[in-house]
Amino acid sequence: MSRYTAQDGTVGRGLVAVAARLLPLAVAFGLSFVLFAVSGFDVGEVASGLLEGSITGKGAVANTIRWAVPLCLIGLGIAVCLRAGEFNIGAQGQMQVGSLAAVWFALDWDGPKPLVILVAVLLAVVGGAVWSGLAGALKVGLGADEVITTLMLNFVALQLVQWVTTGPLKDANTSGDSASTSRIDPGLRVQGSGEVSVEVLTVTVLVAVGAWLLLERSPIGLHLSYVGGNSAAAIWQGLPMARVRLIAYLVAGGLAGLTGAVEVFGPAGRVVTGATPLLGFTALVVTVVASYRVAGTVVAALFFGGLQAAVLFLPIVSDLPVSGLRIVEGLVAMLITARLAVVLRRRQQQADPAPVASAEAAAEAG
Amino acid sequence: MEEFIASTVRTSIPLTLAGVGALFAVRAGIFHLGIEGLMLAAAFAAVGAAHATGSVMLAVGAALVVSAVLSYVYWFLMDKLGADSVIAGLGLTTLCIGGSAFFLDAIFDKRGRLDSPAGLPRLVRGADSGLGAYVSELSILGWLTPVLVLVAWVVLRRSRLGLRIVAVGTYSDGARAAGVDEQRVRLQAMMITSVGAALAGVELSLGGLSTFSEGMTNGRGFIALAAALFGLLHPVGTAAAAMFFGASEAVGVVTQVQGIDVLPRPFILMIPFLLTIIAVTVSAVVRGRADARSREELNIDQS
Repeated sequence: MSRYTAQDGTVGRGLVAVAARLLPLAVAFGLSFVLFAVSGFDVGEVASGLLEGSITGKGAVANTIRWAVPLCLIGLGIAVCLRAGEFNIGAQGQMQVGSLAAVWFALDWDGPKPLVILVAVLLAVVGGAVWSGLAGALKVGLGADEVITTLMLNFVALQLVQWVTTGPLKDANTSGDSASTSRIDPGLRVQGSGEVSVEVLTVTVLVAVGAWLLLERSPIGLHLSYVGGNSAAAIWQGLPMARVRLIAYLVAGGLAGLTGAVEVFGPAGRVVTGATPLLGFTALVVTVVASYRVAGTVVAALFFGGLQAAVLFLPIVSDLPVSGLRIVEGLVAMLITARLAVVLRRRQQQADPAPVASAEAAAEAG
Repeated sequence: MEEFIASTVRTSIPLTLAGVGALFAVRAGIFHLGIEGLMLAAAFAAVGAAHATGSVMLAVGAALVVSAVLSYVYWFLMDKLGADSVIAGLGLTTLCIGGSAFFLDAIFDKRGRLDSPAGLPRLVRGADSGLGAYVSELSILGWLTPVLVLVAWVVLRRSRLGLRIVAVGTYSDGARAAGVDEQRVRLQAMMITSVGAALAGVELSLGGLSTFSEGMTNGRGFIALAAALFGLLHPVGTAAAAMFFGASEAVGVVTQVQGIDVLPRPFILMIPFLLTIIAVTVSAVVRGRADARSREELNIDQS
């Protein structure tokens, strides 16, 4: 029985499930704010700073959406993998490979703007899908644990970025952690930093709708749930297990690669070595918070996008170091899969005893 | 050449300590992605305590305590509240990345780095040049590392605890049937891991420059985990793998310093990760074959 099935069923149970997801968030924020208060920071200031930086401030909503977009795109891909029971934690690397493919094409090829962007985006999607598919093939074909291989591929991708930004596409004025490629032609960009563009939003909405159709309304989505949830039943049904799982990897990697291209043609305009090192991880948290649901992922992406936007704004109004928000994020990840609300969960336990079991299955590394 | 060897040894010491610690968690069935965070938290605790008290003993103690407390919380969330080990482990690492930077600011009012007035003692002193100079740079923990590796080997292979850890990780039904308290064994394994991570953090911060800087582990915890896997979850194998990983970093440093351009440095640094992927795949294939054979012998239907 897969974990997200706990969300199915009656409306009442759905509400209980939502409450069970919100509780860890509330506890994580509560603990963090107690910590901030004990450490002598003005908690009211922090709270209003978060609100201002993500919603009410000037340009705050645009900034929230700027960060929600990559989280949503990557998160939806991760949702597909998690539904199939595949612990693909390599989104960070897949995104970086995608952004490298996009920036390489954008810098090296001339042509009409739509054509260059289209080809670059396709290359990015393929790049991300290959990076993810590599781990997928090793897992599906040979049984190599995907948690390890995807984690390792993140580091390989990081070194690739390091090489590209200090070697072939180097911008001579940068070095170290901020080493970057040259900026792409401003004419090619669809969105500046701090802006929201129609193109990027359209792509995101299309991907969300597509993910919903794939997961909730297509045979593949059904197969994914079977494969991830009850593999014995899936074998009995004669489902093409290997193919379904590989598809999940390709979709996840493709979407992460697409995100890389969106960053290049959108807010970033180039590839920087040390930029957004935790984006892939935050997207994983987004997906888990959303119980691998499409609509939930969109909402959670907006929430964590707002948090990310506030990170950049907070120093202006409060002396809280931005690392404080990493604490919040870390606590959310630690608590989100824990059964905090034993009372809430007891009603579901018959229906959903799986979290412990599947967690251990994922942990059976060596 | 001397510089290459020295650089290899220096890099491999924290990797060995953390890697040997990590293998106990992995042996008990927990893929410990929080070890990166434990190392960082321990490094911070050590420098913080040394900065406040000037005592190296207290610094080591603080690192051990912080690492153990965080490990206990991680274990509690997993074993008592059913949290997912991978996601909670990544969360633990993020918490420590944020937490160490946060407390650096909140307690010591510093940004970026904190210096310690004292470092780990050194066993050999005196030599100013040649290999002797590099040897005298080694901290006491560096000299102790081979001993600790051997102790870990004995614990894993010869002690009741070690055998139970392996039993719980590889055949939990059997361990349960034999009356082993799985959760307790996992906690004990996590505590061994916490010691390895803490010592690695101490060596990283107080073994050389006696300073803590934000995010100073920089993926070394994950690399140590890779070393444990590449070393086939054996203490001596893990130490050898850590040495090899250290060597590939040293090759990168030395070739860059001397201007030799065989392969760009990032590609050399990639090698350990690629080899780990290959090692994990090969061991999965070997294990898969063995499973299939025993299934055949026991005549168990695959479905």
